[in-house]
Amino acid sequence: MSRIYEQLSTALLEGDAEQTPKLVQKALKEGLVPKDILDNGLVVGMKEVGVRFKAGDMFVPEVLMSADAMQSALQVLRPALVASGAKLIGKVVLGTVKGDLHDIGKNLVGMMCEGAGFEVIDLGFNVDPEKFVDAIKVHRPEVVGMSALLTTTMRAMALTIKAVEEAGLRERVKIMVGGAPVDAAFAKRIGADGYGSNGPAGSDLAKKLAGAA
Amino acid sequence: MRANYRINSGVRFELLSQDQLVELFGGVLHVLEYTGLDVYHDEARDILKKAGAWVDGLRVRLPSYLVKKSLQLAPRSFTLWARDGNPKHNIHIGPGRSHFGPGPTCPNFTDIETLERRLYVKSDVPLVARVVDALPNIDFCESLGTVNDVHHELGALYEFAGMFPNTSKPIVAWSYDRFDSTGIHEIAISEAGGQAAFEKRPNYVHYCEPLSPLTSTFEAIDKLLFAARHRVPLIFTPCPISGGTGPITAAGMVIQGAAESWMGLTVAQAVQPGLPFIMGGVYSALDMSSMILAYGAPELSLMMAGITELAHFAGLPLWQTGGCTDSKTFDEQAIIEGSLSVFFSALTGGDLTHDVGYTESGMTGSVFQLAAMDEAIGYSRRITRGVDVNDDTLAVEVIHKVGPNGHYLRQPHTRRYYKNEFWYPNLCDRRNYEEWEMMGKTTMKDRTVARVRGILATHQASPVKPETERMIEKVLAEAENRVKEQ
Repeated sequence: MSRIYEQLSTALLEGDAEQTPKLVQKALKEGLVPKDILDNGLVVGMKEVGVRFKAGDMFVPEVLMSADAMQSALQVLRPALVASGAKLIGKVVLGTVKGDLHDIGKNLVGMMCEGAGFEVIDLGFNVDPEKFVDAIKVHRPEVVGMSALLTTTMRAMALTIKAVEEAGLRERVKIMVGGAPVDAAFAKRIGADGYGSNGPAGSDLAKKLAGAA
Repeated sequence: MRANYRINSGVRFELLSQDQLVELFGGVLHVLEYTGLDVYHDEARDILKKAGAWVDGLRVRLPSYLVKKSLQLAPRSFTLWARDGNPKHNIHIGPGRSHFGPGPTCPNFTDIETLERRLYVKSDVPLVARVVDALPNIDFCESLGTVNDVHHELGALYEFAGMFPNTSKPIVAWSYDRFDSTGIHEIAISEAGGQAAFEKRPNYVHYCEPLSPLTSTFEAIDKLLFAARHRVPLIFTPCPISGGTGPITAAGMVIQGAAESWMGLTVAQAVQPGLPFIMGGVYSALDMSSMILAYGAPELSLMMAGITELAHFAGLPLWQTGGCTDSKTFDEQAIIEGSLSVFFSALTGGDLTHDVGYTESGMTGSVFQLAAMDEAIGYSRRITRGVDVNDDTLAVEVIHKVGPNGHYLRQPHTRRYYKNEFWYPNLCDRRNYEEWEMMGKTTMKDRTVARVRGILATHQASPVKPETERMIEKVLAEAENRVKEQ
């Protein structure tokens, strides 16, 4: 295995957003397969980020630095991935539900999902149930993730799931929920498929729900 | 350029006003001049008499000029050195610096495996020292017990011999008598590279305890003389019990305890001018129903704050007390009492706070209490560190940059400060319910026990020199021979 994979995952772990695109470029120039660069370099690094975060050895600002390094690497890698026809592990549609303007947690889940090898479609915050429905129709994701910070906006999660059901799309997607007031019991009650307690947990869950874990 | 601008480095805490301190100081001088102490040591009385004290039989009274002169001779700031040169393990004594460590001589110990109370034995000493060495907020070492399974005269020596190789943090050495003190000193100077090298970088402190009320016992003074002559920094720590061996009022306790300390100070400075001298000690209430010295009483914190302020007013460092409890076990009482006194000690800037890890009113030493208090000390230190105010911490620019409904997690400003601005717990749990459940629903006690056992499974202190190892064996062999011949 090329040493460059190791360098790439190390740079990612260190949150070095200047190094990662350079290393991807170098790897591409060396003729390495784009999908391998993703799987053996970037995803390995982000996986370790998740492990360290869970163990309390990394903190959110550092995870974000790694996520930034991941995104700047992906900007270089993405065109090559598309050109090579490589398949990502899946698509995730994310959004903070209607009435809620908080998106830090949702963004973290998004970054971690990208780091895990997903294509992420981020709908932003204050997202209407109809917008979730439309996104499912257009993007055909494996997983839909919803977030809320307020106890008052948690209810919008149930309404969104209902809208997805009414549109006849519920069987097509797995739905995961997260956010400070949410827990696993609530997720079950409103008919979601899973609950993630933080960024890395969210991406782990997405992988599980997409059958990629 | 700033002008006429005052900065508070840390949280300000003040119990007594300058006027009150002057009054207390005058009270101590009065007691020493008019009442005096009984000094049960012929040589010490001669030394004091030559220095200008009034001696009448056992009773020694000190003219106030002599006490003031002795106070002037003793340093306020000095360093206790890590035996291995590790700068993180040095202790710099000086204004606004509080340090923490265990206490000595509990008869019992909380067993590491069974968590049951049992007699303290020789093999417990290295365990305590290794835990002390590993805990980030514990700065000096005492043993948390009296060794019960060796000859009854050799407990203190075995204690030091067990601690010294197992932590490089400075040790506070307690001893029975001059024989112990000699053995302890030989071990310490062997590591330091001789007496002259030791005097430049002392790696332990000698601990002596006079008797309340107003009695300088032979052993306390004899050990003090040994330490002074060998230039070993000295802790002289009375333990008056309010309502029993000391007055019922906090102000009276402070006066009596200071008088007891300053008799020791005067002897020490007459023998060795400039000797680092740390006044003590443990001031608390006699519980009027159980008749115990209450280690978890609010009066302990209050009296200790009073004596700390008087010591600093007089220009001496103080041997503080905190992190201790009257509880018999690792429970809510132990944590409340321990944490509050730790926090109060930190606020006062008490120089060396001991008895961290005492349970059952000093009857049982517990490394679990010690490890839990390590967390409370870290917590307290974050608070006492205070709020830093400068152009960059005002954060006006980053507030503007982020603006309404943004977030700060990605800002370089956040990345620059988050590790120092926040304290990160080792034992307190902040996970959400699901994760906590997944990790086995552990309690503070579970996590503390796991931490202590984890340290003991992995942590070793840096080793002592080979010649020190040989010296330890020699000192112990000689001591065993001495007690055999008796």
